[in-house]
Amino acid sequence: MEFLGYERPDGSVGVRNHVAVISSGRCANEMAATIADSVNGAMPVLHTHPCVRLKEDNEWALRTLAGLGSNPNVAAAIVVGVGCENPTPYQIGEEIAKSKKPVEVLTIMESKGFQNLMDRGLELIHEMISQACQMQRKPFPLSYLTLGVKCGGSSAVSGVASNSAGGQVFDRLIAEGGTAIFSETAEVIGATHLLAKRAVSKEVAMRLEEAVERMEAGIKATGVDIRGSQPTRGNIEGGLTTIEEKSLGALAKTGTAPLQGVLEYAEKPQSKGLFFMDGSAMTSELIAGEAAAGIQIHIYSTGGGLTSSFRCPAGWGGEIPILPQIAVVSTPSKPRDSQEKEFFDIYADTIVEGKETVDQVAERLFEEVIAVACGKLTKREMRSGYREPIVMYSTGPIL
Amino acid sequence: MKKALKINPKDNTATALEDIEAGDSVKLASKSGPVGEIKAQQAVPFGHKLALANIGQGEKVLKYGEVIGLATQPINKGDYVHVHNVESALLPPPKEVKQWNF
Repeated sequence: MEFLGYERPDGSVGVRNHVAVISSGRCANEMAATIADSVNGAMPVLHTHPCVRLKEDNEWALRTLAGLGSNPNVAAAIVVGVGCENPTPYQIGEEIAKSKKPVEVLTIMESKGFQNLMDRGLELIHEMISQACQMQRKPFPLSYLTLGVKCGGSSAVSGVASNSAGGQVFDRLIAEGGTAIFSETAEVIGATHLLAKRAVSKEVAMRLEEAVERMEAGIKATGVDIRGSQPTRGNIEGGLTTIEEKSLGALAKTGTAPLQGVLEYAEKPQSKGLFFMDGSAMTSELIAGEAAAGIQIHIYSTGGGLTSSFRCPAGWGGEIPILPQIAVVSTPSKPRDSQEKEFFDIYADTIVEGKETVDQVAERLFEEVIAVACGKLTKREMRSGYREPIVMYSTGPIL
Repeated sequence: MKKALKINPKDNTATALEDIEAGDSVKLASKSGPVGEIKAQQAVPFGHKLALANIGQGEKVLKYGEVIGLATQPINKGDYVHVHNVESALLPPPKEVKQWNF
């Protein structure tokens, strides 16, 4: 099977053709947004990384922002900064340049003032968009696709409904030679042994166990023992009996393919197949990490209840501007009205209603993935207006 | 007819897709289509589990084709399966679980 995408100089293929204006630090968000908003076709990449973080967090930020700029969905990028940020705009630009796409770096320090920077930014963005809009989609095999997934707003049936359908889509893409990434280390607790069984080597299984142990030790260091608090009262009320059942429901979204490797946060996979990324379950952080690792499309597999009663990915879904996100819901809030139709891309409540099987919903979701890869806008992409800055992953203390 | 989903052929439990009352006939679906019927012996709330076979004390309780816990007492086919008759094989449940009313 094939999809229509944009070929990049590094051999990757984008499903979008964004010209990104990347802010190098929180101080530069407004400049990046203003330049991007001055023209049609530019996408500002705004985030919350300040200059009061330490070494490791600055390295995460560099890897994340460089990864977003290098993502195949980005045709060209401008990095905008004051010049004194950490990571510096130059570091981010140098990393993006390794993907061989056009990238420019603008700083207030070097431009000798704000207005000079804005003038030059506008000039550059016009050139970049003129170039990008002339690129044509071409057919590529599905092996060029990398999907990411996250589950949220879990409901009593999200494990057997949207997550199971999502898992089948992962399996199908991997069978076509593609790649898929999942994360949420805390969710693996309770099912580590099952996921480890799927690892292609002892080394991969060990890395997985180390990541889970590190997460548990981190939680313990705050005085909380996650063992003894799981499943939560809400989970048990919803029908989840044990930690194994909860974790298996979460893992259902990963399908059944062998686990090829364990990635650090925002690390790019070096081969095809299924990968686990070590990271938190916080949506914005997690999806930014997957996007920095090169996923072109994200599947947001949700349960229902209150979290399905408002527009899905704008706030709690964690918006990553260069990334189309297909939102799936298992049990939409009732009664479903016409307005709610704009919230989600795939309604999987037909499984609960007995109108469709899991297989049929998985088929619809797979078709949607290909349609979105070919350019169909997701519900979130169709919306204008409100914009959510990316929350940057961090582990260390803040100064 | 009520509905429940047996997500993996190996499972000895199914997930209720609506509130089930004791005595209800329940239509079972797999991922691919209908796989028979069962009579519920006890009430099972939406999203909770129904036993598809007799499960002896200490025996494995299966969902997603994997062990989700062990039976702490004999469970009959058609019974409600939850924290009152199943415990994790890995982790003890929260201490407060006995005080919670469901």
